[in-house]
Amino acid sequence: MTTMTQTAPLVRVEGVTKRFGSGDKEMVALSGLNLEVREGEFLSLLGPSGCGKSTALNIMGGLLTASEGTVTFSGEPLTEPSRNIGMMFQQAVMFPWRTTLENVLLPVEIFGEKKKDFIPKAEELLEMVGIRDFRDSYPWQLSGGMQQRAALCRVLLHDPKLLLLDEPFGALDEFTRESMNQELLRLQDYATSTAVLVTHNITEAVFMSDRVAVMSARPGRLVDIIEVPFDRPRRPELQTSTEFIKLVAKARQMLELQ
Amino acid sequence: MTTTAPPPAPVRSAPALRPSWWERFRNGSAWIVIATVALFIAIWEFFPQTGLVNRVLFPTFSETVAAFFQLLGGGYWWEDLAKTMSAVAIAWVIGCAFGFVMGVVLGTSPFMRQAITPYAIAVQALPKVVLAPLLIGWLGFGAESKIALAVIICFFPVWIDTMVGLALPSANEFKLMKSLRANRWQVFTKLQLPSALPMIMVGVKHALLLAFTGVIVAEILSASDGGLGKLTKEFASQLNMGLVYSVVTIVVILSITLVSIADVIERRVVFWSEESRSRKK
Ligand SMILES: Nc1ncnc2c1ncn2[C@@H]1O[C@H](COP(=O)(O)OP(=O)(O)OP(=O)(O)O)[C@@H](O)[C@H]1O
Ligand SMILES: [Mg+2]
Repeated sequence: MTTMTQTAPLVRVEGVTKRFGSGDKEMVALSGLNLEVREGEFLSLLGPSGCGKSTALNIMGGLLTASEGTVTFSGEPLTEPSRNIGMMFQQAVMFPWRTTLENVLLPVEIFGEKKKDFIPKAEELLEMVGIRDFRDSYPWQLSGGMQQRAALCRVLLHDPKLLLLDEPFGALDEFTRESMNQELLRLQDYATSTAVLVTHNITEAVFMSDRVAVMSARPGRLVDIIEVPFDRPRRPELQTSTEFIKLVAKARQMLELQ
Repeated sequence: MTTTAPPPAPVRSAPALRPSWWERFRNGSAWIVIATVALFIAIWEFFPQTGLVNRVLFPTFSETVAAFFQLLGGGYWWEDLAKTMSAVAIAWVIGCAFGFVMGVVLGTSPFMRQAITPYAIAVQALPKVVLAPLLIGWLGFGAESKIALAVIICFFPVWIDTMVGLALPSANEFKLMKSLRANRWQVFTKLQLPSALPMIMVGVKHALLLAFTGVIVAEILSASDGGLGKLTKEFASQLNMGLVYSVVTIVVILSITLVSIADVIERRVVFWSEESRSRKK
């Protein structure tokens, strides 16, 4: 297990409730969610479809505001998106009129910085995920996996303290997805950032994470947190070990008990 | 387009959808076109000679060709051509600019959209040619009324296509911009406008043909300023149908040329759009 230093958590979600709509159409997506994300850890949010995982993630990223409760990031109340938080979605979201490199540099333009200063870093990241040769290709010339690799470079360009990943590889095939997961772990380690991954794949959640937060069906609440003690870097073989399988079974049971 | 790195998938060398003329000659499909054109010309040539139709109103193909060269040689119509084309150009530019501004205003402000939509529906439903007498009454028989009618006819598709295009980006694309704390101007210039560009180009092309229509209709209605429309009307009143056909041919050639140029520009500007990509393959 990662050393449990008693530092303040990077993100603290306290009693967060989120309602959509009003009156008859009111829908409670989250009800009293409590969650802490520790500095440097990899946390997965696991739960049935529609339980509010994306909603929780969007609130942590400042894209949505909670109806009740508070979210703090680095000890400060979080009310809007922050440069220190990078988000990735299920689709790569690459603009087809920009080359791969230009897509990766999009945040630089929006933050009003000099592109020139970031080109070496962008190329280094593209190199790390193995698509540097495609820096001048357009996204529609890349496969889905390559596009997500580029999206990963884009989100890591400014060394975010917190990575919020909403099923980033959910649209990819099993093979690509596994290698992307490896890539992600490597880069998270390299960038020394904290990551929260939303998934409904139990094995993936256990394999990737230091802790797995299991959520209940709608309205989403935290059921329990499973600590995953395996060392890093983790090899794919880990998935066949008895302890690993036990943890997966435990998570599955928690999901099914609801 | 410049692609320095080779694309991974066999994106590039897909077989051409439209085979070249030479290939079509070899595999015979060109002969079908040639045969139908030849048949059409033959009917055109011999049918008026049978006496079933009035020869004066329906000149034969060879008479029409002769009239065409007579017109080309005449030179007196150059001024009309210039008048028509300059009116089309001016009306097109004004119409596109106006349509674009309207599209941006309505596409970015929900309030304005709510306020203006009823008028938009009314304008769309209106056969705009009906305004011609009104415009001629207000602006006289000169170029102004011609341009005004063409503007009114041609701005609409640019307006609608711009408005619709600005709303094309997906929720995820807006979310990405928001997560980067992009301001409204950045969302507009870096996401909405580029996304809308393919649609705007379609509107702009459409506007070109509508501007042409508007100008010629106005010329036919108010003949004093000249132009190709006036020319057809004059020739028709002289029952010189060969010349009428010739002017129509010139108009067809002009509009095909303009649209082809616009197509080439479009493919350069929005080479990345799904539409252009599927055409290229
Ligand atoms: N903008 C919205 N307006 C109304 N309802 C919404 C909105 N966003 C989410 N919801 C509802 O809130 C609930 C939780 O949605 P959310 O997307 O967070 O679920 P999820 O756990 O991410 O599901 P999935 O695993 O399928 O992605 C769903 O029932 C959804 O219909
Ligand atoms: Mg979701």
